[in-house]
Amino acid sequence: MIHFRTPIEGVERPRMEADVVIVGGGPAGMACALRLAQLIDAHNAAHPDAALSKENIYLLEKSREAGQHCLSGALLDPRSMRELLPSFEKEAPIDGECTKESIYYLTRTGKRRFPFTPPPMRDHGNYVISINKFVKWMAEKVEAAGITVFTGFAASEVLFDGDAVIGVQTDDKGIDKNGQPKANFEPGYNLHAKVTVFCEGARGSCTKQLVERYRLEDPKHAQVYGVGIKELWEIPTGRIAKGEIIYTLGYPLTTKEYGGAWIYGMRDSLLSVGYVTGLDYEDPRTDPHHAFQSFKEHPVLRGILKDGKMIRYGAKSLPYGGWNSMPRLFGHGWMLAGDSAGFLNSQRLKGIHLAIKSGMLAAETAFDALLAGDASAPELATYKARVDASWIREELYPVRNFHQAFEHGLWQGMAKAGLQHVMGGANLGPDSKAHPGYENMRHVNALNPFREGRMQFLGAAKGDRKLTFDKLTDVYYSGTRHEDDQPTHLVIADLSICNDRCTKEFGNPCQFFCPAAVYEMVEEAGEKSSAPEKKLHISFANCVHCKTCDIQDPYQIITWVPPEGGGGPNYDGM
Amino acid sequence: MKILVCMKQVPQKDAPLKLNEAGTWIREDVSYEVNEPDAYALEEALRQKEKHGGEVVVVTAGPARAQQVLREALAKGADRAIHLVDDSFATIDPVSTARAIAAAIESESFDVVLTGLQSDDFGFAQTGVLLAELLGWPHGTIIIGIEKTETGLRLKRELEAGHYQWMDIPLPCVLTIQSGINKLRYATLIGIKQARNKPVKQMTLADVADKLGTNLQTIERLYIPVKQKKTEMLQGSSAEIAKKLVDKLRNEARVI
Ligand SMILES: Cc1cc2nc3c(=O)[nH]c(=O)nc-3n(C[C@H](O)[C@H](O)[C@H](O)COP(=O)(O)OP(=O)(O)OC[C@H]3O[C@@H](n4cnc5c(N)ncnc54)[C@H](O)[C@@H]3O)c2cc1C
Ligand code: SF4
Repeated sequence: MIHFRTPIEGVERPRMEADVVIVGGGPAGMACALRLAQLIDAHNAAHPDAALSKENIYLLEKSREAGQHCLSGALLDPRSMRELLPSFEKEAPIDGECTKESIYYLTRTGKRRFPFTPPPMRDHGNYVISINKFVKWMAEKVEAAGITVFTGFAASEVLFDGDAVIGVQTDDKGIDKNGQPKANFEPGYNLHAKVTVFCEGARGSCTKQLVERYRLEDPKHAQVYGVGIKELWEIPTGRIAKGEIIYTLGYPLTTKEYGGAWIYGMRDSLLSVGYVTGLDYEDPRTDPHHAFQSFKEHPVLRGILKDGKMIRYGAKSLPYGGWNSMPRLFGHGWMLAGDSAGFLNSQRLKGIHLAIKSGMLAAETAFDALLAGDASAPELATYKARVDASWIREELYPVRNFHQAFEHGLWQGMAKAGLQHVMGGANLGPDSKAHPGYENMRHVNALNPFREGRMQFLGAAKGDRKLTFDKLTDVYYSGTRHEDDQPTHLVIADLSICNDRCTKEFGNPCQFFCPAAVYEMVEEAGEKSSAPEKKLHISFANCVHCKTCDIQDPYQIITWVPPEGGGGPNYDGM
Repeated sequence: MKILVCMKQVPQKDAPLKLNEAGTWIREDVSYEVNEPDAYALEEALRQKEKHGGEVVVVTAGPARAQQVLREALAKGADRAIHLVDDSFATIDPVSTARAIAAAIESESFDVVLTGLQSDDFGFAQTGVLLAELLGWPHGTIIIGIEKTETGLRLKRELEAGHYQWMDIPLPCVLTIQSGINKLRYATLIGIKQARNKPVKQMTLADVADKLGTNLQTIERLYIPVKQKKTEMLQGSSAEIAKKLVDKLRNEARVI
């Protein structure tokens, strides 16, 4: 019997009162905390008699140390950081400035270089960073500014009072795999807050509770996602210079799937390389981890990676939907910022600067709410107004139809995107609609048996352990650790669907879309007859918190909830 | 009881390690954590304090990053902390570390000093014992149980192969604690918040330098062993091969 994690019942929970609680310490959460501290400091300097306190502003982060669950490319557009900390370039960990960029279209063995870099992909002046190091540095700034960062604590439940969000409950610690408290059991806190800002990244687990309860998404414009698989490589110098960046389209995905790769030179001998696969593919056997492995086998990549050494692995989802897919951003007592709200420019594969800017705008709104003593929806509506008046809208609105253009494949997509570029983002008709990507998935027996050139990313990759790796080897390089004796945090509403219906219809795609080998169909003695039956096994301790399963499961019966705080990957240097 | 707990920050157990350029130690860009047996030592100190009252003080000798260990200890309930801050504390030998700690607590009077059994990185298992010697106190090692008695402490030590030893020890004393002596607690939100206001005394290398003496032990070179796998095919009839094999096992491998 698999016991799934739920908050333990019938215990008295300690309660703590807060002015503002920020859930999630990625770029959005850290920027929100820092901006709030700046505003309070400035206010207190101007009004010493009516000083506000920073004592009761808290940030919750589920990773053991700040930044450990953050994974990105990453190229930073410095715009918002310059607003937040004008001198950040002097002290922040920056690997290098982008100096050279190219885009290739890959065929199975060849490459074609785009004759010019389309304007949105131009990256001169952007910085190559490790988001892990960058966020760690931001966390130091936040703490130095007097705001408490609770690392190793997840928000597991949203606390509601009627129509309002009144805070969050933190994760229960010390629960065994059968759901019983252990000797060192520590119940989660009820952390009550006047304002709660959700900055949980893509597909946040609390955010999902809000989206469902308040129907925050427009059904005509569902959020769509991709999953990025990434490795850090040490390579001989002289191949890719620090600050050099390459994007590729094409192989190993076919023109039917949405996706592409990045290669960023972090140092002359350190490379960030990764592949994003859109989570709206048709073939349930599609394995994004396999796609990435096959990508590395392309002659171009072989040349770059030869005699190199893979040193880190990770995976994370990102929201693609853009401006039209953004959920409502605020309500009584709450706001959404960063990837949780879909602030990402999928045309540029960039969200960090938008996460930071949205976090700052949420901070400005929260600050006003504290001053006014009012965190009701009408007060927090100024957040949306701020977003609309800022350069966020200027950047995102014109590209609102970008991803949707690719719905019918790469060629049509390129043509439509080109047209949109000329027409300021508009289509020839109305704005494109978007439905959830998992709906595209087709039954196995409805697919062309010849696999139509998809062999290179269907099913699990084997790996040669030099250039390519199987999932378990890669997971080892993600530094993932969880307390083993705890309930399973991949909560499946109905296991019988997995073991029966899904096996027949989709062939258990969870085995393939999960980049960390969490889901496995294992033969067991059958219940009724002695014939062995395949049953779903969940090795939750491998989970790298990418949220792909929550997004891509075709029956939408998997709910990712935070495991015991502190568990998860360790994306050092990613 | 006034208890001192000596704690160390070590590279995370399953972190992939890389040698530094000079080949004298590992590269610094790894994650760190509390040395495991030290966490148990802290837990034991907190439990003793909860039973018998007193104070729990934590000390670490290490670079600035090691402050994290102290913060965690304060969040779990330690009353105050002492940080001997210097990069060199990460690599000095156990005598020097023991001397530095002894010097740092010169003006205090503890009843018990707890350390972990050994550190996960160097694994010397000497610092605690040397500290006892420097303080002139008795010590007990590999402790897996502590009871307070009228005259001192009753200890349970772990010996080989499932054997245990019970012994009495007078106070003050130094004990090195084995992992698993208790069940570790979690830090709580309120604990972490309160820890922000607990005192951390910073001491520099200069503050204790005259007590250190010379460092007698340094790592000259660290290297990853080269794999030496040799396959040799024996030729001949079965009887001849058997004979050659026995010869090799006896005279080369020396296993029979
Ligand atoms: C593969 C990939 C490549 C990318 N490349 C680039 C790039 O080159 N340039 C660029 O600008 N952008 C890039 N992006 C996008 C960018 O990384 C994101 O937009 C950005 O990180 C979003 O920041 P965030 O703070 O909203 O969320 P995140 O960075 O996801 O941070 C969320 C944080 O919240 C924590 N958290 C989540 N839930 C909880 C909870 N319930 N309780 C406590 N803590 C919680 C998480 O542990 C995490 O630390 C890329 C994204 C991906 C996936
Ligand atoms: S279990 Fe889900 S969240 Fe965890 S690694 Fe697999 S797909 Fe990602």
